[in-house]
Formats: sequence, C-alpha cells, structure tokens
Amino acid sequence: MSKYLPDLSELKKEFDEKPSVLKGDYSPREWWDLPVEYRDGNWCFSGKPEVLDDLGFANPRKWAATDQDWQLPAGWQKIISDGLQSRLKKYRSLKLFLDACVRCGACADKCHFFLGTGDPKNMPVVRAELLRSVYRNDFPLVEKILKGFSGSRKLTEEVIKEWHMYFHQCTECRRCSVFCPFGIDTAEITIMVRELLHLIGVNNNWILGPVSNCNRTGNHLGIEPHTLVQNINSLVEDIEDLTGVAVEPTFNRKGAEVLFITPSGDVFGDPGVYTMMGYLLLFHHIGLDYTISTYASEGGNFGLFTSNDMMKKLNAKMYHEAKRLGVKWILGGECGHMWRVVHQYMSTMNGPADFLEQPVSPITGTRFSNAAATKMVHIAEFTADLIHHKKLKLDPKRNDHLRTTFHDSCNVARGMGMFEEPRYVLRNVCNSFHEMPENTIREKTFCCGSGSGLNAEEYMDIRMRGGFPRAHAVRYVKERHKVDSLVTICAIDRASLPPLMKYWNPGVSVYGLHELVGNALVMQGEKKRTTDLRENTMAGFEDGGDDEE
Amino acid sequence: MNYSMSTEWAYLLHANRDVILEQWLERSLGLFPEKMGYDTPVAEALAEALGKVITGLEEGNQRFRDALDDVTRILAVQNFPPSRAISIFFEPKIILREMMMKPTMAERLTQEVQNTFSLRIDELVLQAFDSYMQHREKIAQLKVEEGSRRMFMALRRAEA
Repeated sequence: MSKYLPDLSELKKEFDEKPSVLKGDYSPREWWDLPVEYRDGNWCFSGKPEVLDDLGFANPRKWAATDQDWQLPAGWQKIISDGLQSRLKKYRSLKLFLDACVRCGACADKCHFFLGTGDPKNMPVVRAELLRSVYRNDFPLVEKILKGFSGSRKLTEEVIKEWHMYFHQCTECRRCSVFCPFGIDTAEITIMVRELLHLIGVNNNWILGPVSNCNRTGNHLGIEPHTLVQNINSLVEDIEDLTGVAVEPTFNRKGAEVLFITPSGDVFGDPGVYTMMGYLLLFHHIGLDYTISTYASEGGNFGLFTSNDMMKKLNAKMYHEAKRLGVKWILGGECGHMWRVVHQYMSTMNGPADFLEQPVSPITGTRFSNAAATKMVHIAEFTADLIHHKKLKLDPKRNDHLRTTFHDSCNVARGMGMFEEPRYVLRNVCNSFHEMPENTIREKTFCCGSGSGLNAEEYMDIRMRGGFPRAHAVRYVKERHKVDSLVTICAIDRASLPPLMKYWNPGVSVYGLHELVGNALVMQGEKKRTTDLRENTMAGFEDGGDDEE
Repeated sequence: MNYSMSTEWAYLLHANRDVILEQWLERSLGLFPEKMGYDTPVAEALAEALGKVITGLEEGNQRFRDALDDVTRILAVQNFPPSRAISIFFEPKIILREMMMKPTMAERLTQEVQNTFSLRIDELVLQAFDSYMQHREKIAQLKVEEGSRRMFMALRRAEA
C-alpha cells in the first residue's frame, strides 16, 4: 500500500482533530496550541552528516523532520539561549524588531505564504512571535511577571520543530517590511532563527549542499574549473551555430578591465544558459575587456541563508579574485540574493575594496557613483546605460514571438531598489510588454515562493502554495494581454518559476532579461537569424520569410 | 424568463446561483487552517472557478472542465489529504438539500429531481478526482524535470 495513503485511524484522527466544514475550525484555540505536523512533502531534506562535517557545522547526524526524536545535542536549550543573547547584543536591529512590534497586523495579509496557505503562523507578525514568545519568556523580568497574558512560552522541542517549519516557509523576501509602519524586517528574524537552528544541527540540505560545494570549489554545483570552462565554451559553439559570430570569453585573465561574476545556474541550468549566451553576445558586441573567474565562479551566496559568518566567507572570493586578477571593477550578472549580499553587506563585510576603482563604463564613460563603495555594477544598469547612449544595435522585432511581463525579483527590487533599469532594457528589446497589477510589482512584488534555499524538489507542494500569489498575477496578464513570457533577473527565479508556471499557468515560459537582449542584438558579421537563442522560430524571421527592412 | 437549461435541478441551481456559490465558497475556504480569507488570491481564484463549475455543471463543456481543473489545481497542493480536498465537491448536494427546507423550494425539488441531481454530483466528484490526480501527476513530473533542468549542461554533455 502506498505510504502516502493515510490509514483509517489517521483519517479518524484527522476528522476528530482538524477543523472541518461540519465541525467548525480551530478559532477558539490560540496559535501556539495549533499542532505542527511533519509529513512527506512538507519539509526539506536535512543536511547530510558529511556536508556538516565538511563545513564544521554542529551536530552532524542522519535525521529526518518526520522523526519523533530529532537527536538535538545535549544542552541545546542553553545553546539556543546563549546564541540568542549574543545575537541580541551584536545586532541592534534584531533587538529593535523583537521589541518594537505592536501587533497592528498591517503585515498579516502581505506574505505570499500566508496568502497561499491561509495558515496563521505564516502571518509575518505571528512568524516573528514564534521567536518573540521565547525571547519574552527568557529575558525581560517584567514580562516574566506578566506571564500568562503576555504570550511568552518555554523553549521546548516542539518550539524548535515549529521554528524549523515556519522559518522555512519564509523566503526572506521582505514584502511584509514594506507595509510595516515600524519597518520591522521579518527577513532578519528568519535569518537569525535559521542561524540559531544551525547551532543545534537543525537544517536543510538544499541550502547546505551548495554552501559546502561553494566552500570547496567556488560554485553551488561543485563544478571544477575545467568543466566550467568547457561548459561556457560549449555555449560559445552554440552561439556560433546560431549567429555565425564567434564570441571569445577569457578565463582567469590577469589585467582584464572587468571581472564578470554571475550565478552558476547561468552556466549549467536551463533556462539560465540562454541568459549566459545573451551576456556573451552583449560583451562581444561592445568589445568589453572582461574575464570570467573559475574560482569566483558563483554569484549566488547560500551563506545568506545559513549564517553571517558563512555568508562573509563565501562572499570574500569576489574581492580576492578581483585583487588577484588586477581588474578595475566587477560586473555582476542577473541574480537575486547575490545582489542583496553585494549591495547591503559586501563593502562592510569584506571591504573596503580600495584596490579597485570606482566603476566607469568603458563604452559610455558613465561613472557608476552608486557603486562607489562596492565597485560592483549590476548588469541591468550597465545595459540600460548602453541603450541610453545608443551604443547597442537592437532589433526588438526579433522578440515579436514573445509577449512579455516582468517579475521583479525580491532581492533586486526591495533589497537594492532597482525597478526601472530592467524595464527600460526590456522595453528596448521587445515590442510587447505588459505590467502585472500594481500591488504585485516593484517594491510590492510577490516572491516566486522558492527563494532563500527552499527550491528543493521534495518541497514542491509548499513552493506551489507560496508561489500562488505571483502565479495569480501572471494569470491576470495572461488572460488580458495573452502574455506568454515571464521575464526576470534572478537565477533562483529562472529555476523556480518554470515549474510554478507549468503548474498554475501552462503555456507561460520563463526568460532571463539578457536572453532577450541576446535575441535582439544585431551582431557585426552575423548570419541570417531565424531562431532565438532557444532555437525557437522568431515571428517574421522564418526561413524564406521577408525579414529585411 | 428564458432558461436554456433543460432540467429542473439545473434551473434551481441557476436561480439560486449566488446563494449556492456563496455557501460553497465559504465551505471550501473552511478547509484551510483557520479558514482562508475572502480577499486572498486563493479565495478570488476559487470563487471564479467554482462559479464557472456551477454554470457549466449541466452541459459539462470545456469551460466547465477548465474551471474544474482550476479548483482541483488549488486543492492538489494544499496541506490536507485528498479525501478532504475532494469532499468539497459533495457540498452542492448538501447545500441544495438545506435550501429545500424553504417551502418555496420544496415543491420544485421533488425526490426525482433530487435523485438526478445527486447522480450528477457523484459524477462531478469522480471528474474532480481525475482532475485532482492529473495535478498530482504534474507535480511528480515537475520534480523530475526540475532535476534535469538543473543539470541541463551535464546531461547535454553526457548525451553528446
């Protein structure tokens, strides 16, 4: 019999204990009385012992969230308690966020996980309360006296199980923080709780595997330098087949002007590789003096989802490599959390990068003063500047087979405030672009539902729920404007939105912005183009068609 | 009024569409923990799809099947077992039976009408089951596809 089939006693329990149309719901109960149940499909596989060993992380063991006993280390309560105290001292923001909330509820219906699941513990205010209730119990004396109606509680194993579940149903997207009158950032609370959980070995292998790979070889998939080069060269061959143009990327070249760093998903995964082809075409088009590193071969940084120290360590290779190669500045590809790390933490964490220069576009002369501290420029800014100065020969008709909309990636939109540049580029490389509803884009964008390391296959159901608000907004433009292409500037989006679209909106494909740039670029010496970078036929450019103007 | 619906139950369904839809939606939202709010995208999508299911129930045309797919697509990824998810398709029967308590309805909703309607609802449940399973199968397929997409270049090189 299938293990997914509940037996009769379970069904009876389900009926007796769960809310139902016949019996009403849990409403008389307080949120902390609602049970936490792990079953196959509602948790991400736990970190493998060998991965934890590699990283020197606590409590390596074989365990599953469905186990009764999670084999927490001896004295785990003290570890958590001490860990929380030291973080409260270190991060003023955490203390402020724990103390300042007045439970106004403005955040409640802003979370995509709450909107997609209806689970009250997915309201950002309650999610934070999961930690706050313990903080209140353990710390201020007055609250201790008020216990009973202050909502404080003891730190039990059940609380740890609840933390693990609900802080892995938060993608650290920060949509709630946009609506909080105090600016409380639940993402920071999630970051801290996950950091605490790592202290006692409660973790997620989909995050720790890439962290360990990155730590060893420089990228999430653990691909070694020669394979990285072979992969990119294979894309170079594809570009030549499609366009007749031989682009010539260089690797680890000392003295190049620019170091280009992008998420490794662009080099290995579908559809990221088409975006990579777009970058390579663009750099060739403008004659950029750039190099790609096989050491700093990953833009993404899963350390952000693990701990502050790990994030710092994984990020350090960007500046190390820029210094070793003697480049002037760094250009970064399309990625989400990579940019959160770069924009918000890199210069204080691993800077100052005084061996680099303030980035200046060698083509337009534009000085990127916004990158004065980090010395790293986002490719959407760089390309928008090229288009603004009319340095690119573009034929947007080559994307006429696509009807596009744009998904703002949380980290780029809310994390670094970039809204207009990608739209400017998109409008210049295609003729059909329709915005999703106003409350689902720009700073109010909905997460893909799989960010912050939740992109595991085994977690598919929850990802589909969490991604529903985004998918619902795409459906809106699909029905009204026949949109069939969702364009984005994030590698996690490029990995997670295809299944989200296939499930909720069949017929909508996912594209990277620079893939469309690559389609539209009219290259010097190119052969007649009939297909796009995916080898799909371009409308009006079919073989024998009249495409010359 | 000119109703294109030929059967009596379909007429009753049509005439009381708003009330039935409201109750059906409320009961469907009750499946979610602490009841899903009305102004959420899930409630919005469910309301639209359930409305189309009621409208198309008699004819069972493509629009009806698409709407049914939309309902089960939402249910198939929720945190409750298939039995509970499918249970909401029995609801119209219960709602109509409750409405029968009203004297104005009782005379129209004869035993015969009820029996025919009951058969149609049983059929709806089976259709919903098929549709639900299709979505579960899709989820399984997406998991496999995701793995291959992530290893796209490795697989391509292995094949070459």
